[in-house]
Amino acid sequence: MGLDLEYLYRTFLLALGGLPVTLGICVATLSLSLPLGFLLALVGMYRVRVLGALASLYVSFARGTPIVLQILVVYSLLPSLANAIAVNAGWNIDVFALNPAWYAIIVFTFNTTAVLAEIMRSALLTVDKGQLEAALASGLSVWQAYRRIIVPQALLVALPNLCNATINLIKGTSLAFLMAVRDVTAIAKIEAARAYDYVESYLAIFVIYLIVCGITQMLFSTVERRLGIYRAPAVSF
Amino acid sequence: MLRIHGLHKSFHHNKVLRGVDLDVEKGDVVAIIGPSGAGKTTLLRCVNFLERADRGDMYFDGTHLDMHRASTRDMLAIRRRTAFVFQNFNLFSNKTALENVTEGLITGRGIPPRQAEDIARRALDKVGLSNRLDYYPAKLSGGQQQRVGIARAIAVDPEVILFDEPTSALDPELIEDVLGIMRTLAHEGTTMVVVTHEIGFASDVASQVIFMDEGLVVESGPPRQVLAAPAEDRTRQFLRRILPATNLVV
Amino acid sequence: MDRPFKPAYIVEALPRLLAYLPLTLGVALATVVAGSILGLALAKAKLGRSRVMRGLADAYTWTLRCTPSIVLLFLVYYGLPAFAKAVFSVDISLWHRAFFVVLTFTLFFGATMSELMRSAYLSVDRGQREAALSHGLSEFQAFRRIVLPQAAVSALPNVATSVVALLKEGSLAYTIGLVDLMGQGTLIIARRYGAWALETYLAAALIYWALTVTLEKIAKRLERHLSRGRRSLA
Ligand SMILES: Nc1ncnc2c1ncn2[C@@H]1O[C@H](COP(=O)(O)OP(=O)(O)OP(=O)(O)O)[C@@H](O)[C@H]1O
Ligand SMILES: [Mg+2]
Repeated sequence: MGLDLEYLYRTFLLALGGLPVTLGICVATLSLSLPLGFLLALVGMYRVRVLGALASLYVSFARGTPIVLQILVVYSLLPSLANAIAVNAGWNIDVFALNPAWYAIIVFTFNTTAVLAEIMRSALLTVDKGQLEAALASGLSVWQAYRRIIVPQALLVALPNLCNATINLIKGTSLAFLMAVRDVTAIAKIEAARAYDYVESYLAIFVIYLIVCGITQMLFSTVERRLGIYRAPAVSF
Repeated sequence: MLRIHGLHKSFHHNKVLRGVDLDVEKGDVVAIIGPSGAGKTTLLRCVNFLERADRGDMYFDGTHLDMHRASTRDMLAIRRRTAFVFQNFNLFSNKTALENVTEGLITGRGIPPRQAEDIARRALDKVGLSNRLDYYPAKLSGGQQQRVGIARAIAVDPEVILFDEPTSALDPELIEDVLGIMRTLAHEGTTMVVVTHEIGFASDVASQVIFMDEGLVVESGPPRQVLAAPAEDRTRQFLRRILPATNLVV
Repeated sequence: MDRPFKPAYIVEALPRLLAYLPLTLGVALATVVAGSILGLALAKAKLGRSRVMRGLADAYTWTLRCTPSIVLLFLVYYGLPAFAKAVFSVDISLWHRAFFVVLTFTLFFGATMSELMRSAYLSVDRGQREAALSHGLSEFQAFRRIVLPQAAVSALPNVATSVVALLKEGSLAYTIGLVDLMGQGTLIIARRYGAWALETYLAAALIYWALTVTLEKIAKRLERHLSRGRRSLA
């Protein structure tokens, strides 16, 4: 059929312009979701009563519904809600002029926090209780024990799943165009419709996502190797 | 120096400790023996607040503490004056041998890192591991791990060290290494409370032997009394089961 | 808000969306079947002796893992007809959109399944197969009667997770115009010129939620049922 390679290359460069937006949303989302997810994991583990029930309801909903629906719900709710609040409070801001990337960050944080909470909960459970006891017996406070002993060990166990979650997040941001965010996919989509050249446009961003996700995986495995020096050599099958 | 009075602890409806007293003087080596399930481990864990007692009083150098009500601060204070050696070592798996020892010094007690490292080196030297400072627990044998566990305990210069069956997870040929170190500590006047099944060690080293069964102290006294001439039937039965007949005379 | 939130419209939308549930489920089921076959082929390649096949299968899995669903969906939907026309001179651009959806998600699901099958197979202790062989079972019997049941149990939780993920990702089919549950939702909204969008989306979300929770429950049951005779370490 003959691919228009030159056009493909031009779209590739064009879509690369959306990479800062894509990555920015991912980084902002992760910086919010990691601490929130960790807190949620603790709430789930220590069975804080009402809060625990609410937390598990939230996790179930966020993990049990399509992200595209979460995007559509938030995007049809949040702008007008925020506007109503702003008007009522008498703030003089135009909510509708807000960068839509903020909405994207909110949706993806909503979604990713639930995923990370699950990951960290199961990772924390893999740490032997004796580690906490030994830390306490050594005179560390509970907070110190978590910070210096438990969390570092849990984090290492969680790394492969965190890598998965990060990759899913990167891929998920390809839906940000639904909120009028100009990320990698949105640019390709606009370009495809303009030039009536769908295949090349999507091939171009296909390559971009491969590169970005590939680099992400490499980063994670480097970190895992560096942090995992204390582990016994892996038992091979 | 350390006195426990009327310690009670149950798990659900299982009354594991039913009023235990413990009296440890400075320099004492108290050996606690007794059948499985007697509550020995639970006793030690309550003393270090790894379990919260249902009832009981602690007198540590005259200061009194209600063991059921102890606050987080109280517990931390006691833990910083004591040390615990675990049956299954519980070395911090993400820390090297040296870091395992310095952790409690630097993070727990705020000792400057340089000084803490000196202390840790000396402690590890004492247990014969100065050539394993940078090893992670996964690369150490069980005996080596327990020696790090002991170094971790002595490094903080505790007023009393609690040992919970420190040799029972070890291969027979490694047990003597660890017991040897504990003997040395005893001779140096370290105050220790040791739960153990090593009757030989108890009779050599202990200043006081406590026999526990079903959550109570059945009999206590110097080893030549409790081990060689027990007054209670239950003690005799236990010793007969655990020792070959010929060794009964200590 | 410029207009009140009316929960009644959620209730109103539910039956109209549920009418399209069979199509959504049908697409998912077809994908699971086709994807499992692809997954099996890939898993065989990964466990096989040929280094080339292993490399290809691994590269395929890795690539699909890094591809956003929407990108592959668009590539298949726009690219395949162009390809078919150029190479085979057939026009498939008017084929039912469900075909392109099933094909796209089969490619994804096959990649996921191949990984699950591979690790499930490897999780079964080698001694199990050897014991079966020395008991007089043939290689195929040993696989079929001893290895497979154990591998299936160990894979089940992850398979359930993957099917849930498939259902959720499948909701993107509306972007190429498939009128399934989600597509019907967007149609309802479009017919009302965007009114009651929030309520309609929430209705769809509730249906998906119920669906995934049910699926997870079933998987839990099945797992308990299948893992009789196994004691876990924990
Ligand atoms: N965390 C717990 N939850 C419930 N029951 C417990 C717990 N810890 C101990 N027990 C119970 O308390 C009883 C005493 O246990 P403990 O570990 O103190 O005995 P022990 O004298 O140390 O025995 P062993 O010689 O086998 O170590 C046992 O019946 C045990 O089942
Ligand atoms: Mg015990």
